[in-house]
Amino acid sequence: MSYFKDIKREAGFIAKQKYRVAFIFAAFLLSVFAVWSGITETQTQQETIERLIAKDHTDRVNVQSHQSDFGSAAYYTFHLTYDEPSPVAFAAMGQRDVYPWKHRVRMLALEGQIYETDADNPELSLVGRFDYAFLISVLMPLFVILLLHDLRSGEREAGRYDLLTVTTSNQKALWLIRAVVQSAALGSAIVIPFVIGAIVNGASALNIALIVGITIAHLALWTAIAYAVSGFKQFASMNSARIASSLLGIWLLITVVIPVAGDNIIKSAVQSPSGGEIVLTQREAVNGAWDLPFSATWDGFLATHPQWADKTEMSSLFEWKWYYAFQQVGDQTAAPLSSSYRDAIKQRDKLASYIAWMSPPMLTQRVMTAIANTNTEAMMTYEAKIREYHADLRQFYYPLLFNDVEFSVDVLEDLPRYTTNSDEAKHTQQ
Amino acid sequence: MPKDILKASSLTVSFADHTVLDCVDFSVKQGEVFALLGGNGAGKSTALKTFLGTVSPTSGDAYVLDRSVKKDINSIRKNIAYLPESVTLYGHLSGIENIEYFLSLGGINRTEDDIKQALNRVALQVNAWHKPLSSYSKGMRQKTAIALALLREAPVLFLDEPTSGLDPSAIDKFNQLVASLSEQGTTVFMVTHDVYGACQIAHRIGLLHKGGIVGMFERGSNDTIDTEAVHTAFSMRDH
Repeated sequence: MSYFKDIKREAGFIAKQKYRVAFIFAAFLLSVFAVWSGITETQTQQETIERLIAKDHTDRVNVQSHQSDFGSAAYYTFHLTYDEPSPVAFAAMGQRDVYPWKHRVRMLALEGQIYETDADNPELSLVGRFDYAFLISVLMPLFVILLLHDLRSGEREAGRYDLLTVTTSNQKALWLIRAVVQSAALGSAIVIPFVIGAIVNGASALNIALIVGITIAHLALWTAIAYAVSGFKQFASMNSARIASSLLGIWLLITVVIPVAGDNIIKSAVQSPSGGEIVLTQREAVNGAWDLPFSATWDGFLATHPQWADKTEMSSLFEWKWYYAFQQVGDQTAAPLSSSYRDAIKQRDKLASYIAWMSPPMLTQRVMTAIANTNTEAMMTYEAKIREYHADLRQFYYPLLFNDVEFSVDVLEDLPRYTTNSDEAKHTQQ
Repeated sequence: MPKDILKASSLTVSFADHTVLDCVDFSVKQGEVFALLGGNGAGKSTALKTFLGTVSPTSGDAYVLDRSVKKDINSIRKNIAYLPESVTLYGHLSGIENIEYFLSLGGINRTEDDIKQALNRVALQVNAWHKPLSSYSKGMRQKTAIALALLREAPVLFLDEPTSGLDPSAIDKFNQLVASLSEQGTTVFMVTHDVYGACQIAHRIGLLHKGGIVGMFERGSNDTIDTEAVHTAFSMRDH
């Protein structure tokens, strides 16, 4: 009861400090903007996917109606793959800004199709996206520092510290309650727009609770840091500006220095081929195949597809089965590089997860992107789904091409369809 | 025979290698107004802060109502009121809101009538009661803080340079108020470098110099302290 009265008193006290109220309101507006921009971006992505799904179907029907053999049908038909944003992706766009979330693939060699879009958005790489995760992990600690750095020193400088100390019945509780009330006001201002945005976006209660929990945990950590630093005896003689500088130094170390240094160490420790090298290797293998004897292609192809060994006879200088076989061989040539690239990404991500334990803001972002399904693992899962789907396409076409089946558009109705996890979930529910 | 309310017993306070108070002994009886007089750096503010519990004794001890500041400071603080030299309450709150806030900090409940009565007693203009403290003059802020001290109804009142910055009329009213509190049994401990102010208000003056009590002056048969004697002793030590 006593604590409730103290909290009520301090809340009333803070509410009468116009500059603090204005500051907390500014944090609220930033949160509204972060949530709004995140939802706008995910809606744009979702609308793009829906538009592409509709066009993909129309385009495929149109293209297939003009074909006279399965080789041409496979060559001219594009197949849309996509990774839909989760209902909480708006809060942490994560790797969706770096990796592609939609690919239109053909039956051609896959590696080039995947990695020819392996390019960052340079603008976002420079400044980072202003989403809820950025607000929570990077800006919120600064808000806490600005609110709490002068918790005690401000009173000392105003000449009230001794009077407060002598007057209050529980000195420690006074500073703690003041810190907690301000942090709680800040946290509410930041969390409320997220919760509203998440409900509107159809996020699950569990995911909302998890992200709110992370926000509170990160807020509590910085409140504890600011509270402890402002309370250290060594800091008692320091003015507010010096305490703020010390706290900003801590923020800089764990928010900027550790992640940047960690990133550089990881990059130098785990070497990786570039996407460009993979594309080049695959294209050189494919383009070179035109000038090689047929046997060079068949040897490579049959090493992985021995079931077609007695179907390799050629009656002309160009046959689609040979064409797709050297596309396959192109992928096989680039496979070691591609595999090494993916292993390096996984290894770097694993090392980054260890470094994140030394940088709570980095850890916060990682946990949030994991919940939002926008982390590296999610992007790798999407890439794996593209590979699976492309393998299904090959499995569908190879019997038609190698068995020289007579062309019929009706057969193409059985083409594998790309499905996402949410499609599968909907299908299971039905 | 009134009992000792405040007591410094071999009180020593050192910061690093500098001794600010050196084995100081004195006591203050109930209802007494005691002034600790001294120049800059004499150690009077340190003595005051030791009783308030914001500075810890290096050796010896200070007692308020027989309770040690080393062991029982929270209990002591419930029984004291403090008027700082530079009264800087919260500028964004009104006089009444400031009083309510500080009383609430101490867990003290007073009605609005009690607060208004106290403000009347210290003669703070009624039209200022609900204005933000940032619009108050130094004297008005001082009166607000005195009202707060009165409302705490503490048996011991600590004053730090209480009349500094007040005009002569306000000083006169303040002295009357302190005298009235003393008559009601409140023990008053003040630190000051104002010789004449101390002689007007105090029953007893301890002269502090370089961390030690070097003189003690009491009211004589005419119920006044010999200002000249105090002034002479103070000047000799201070120069």
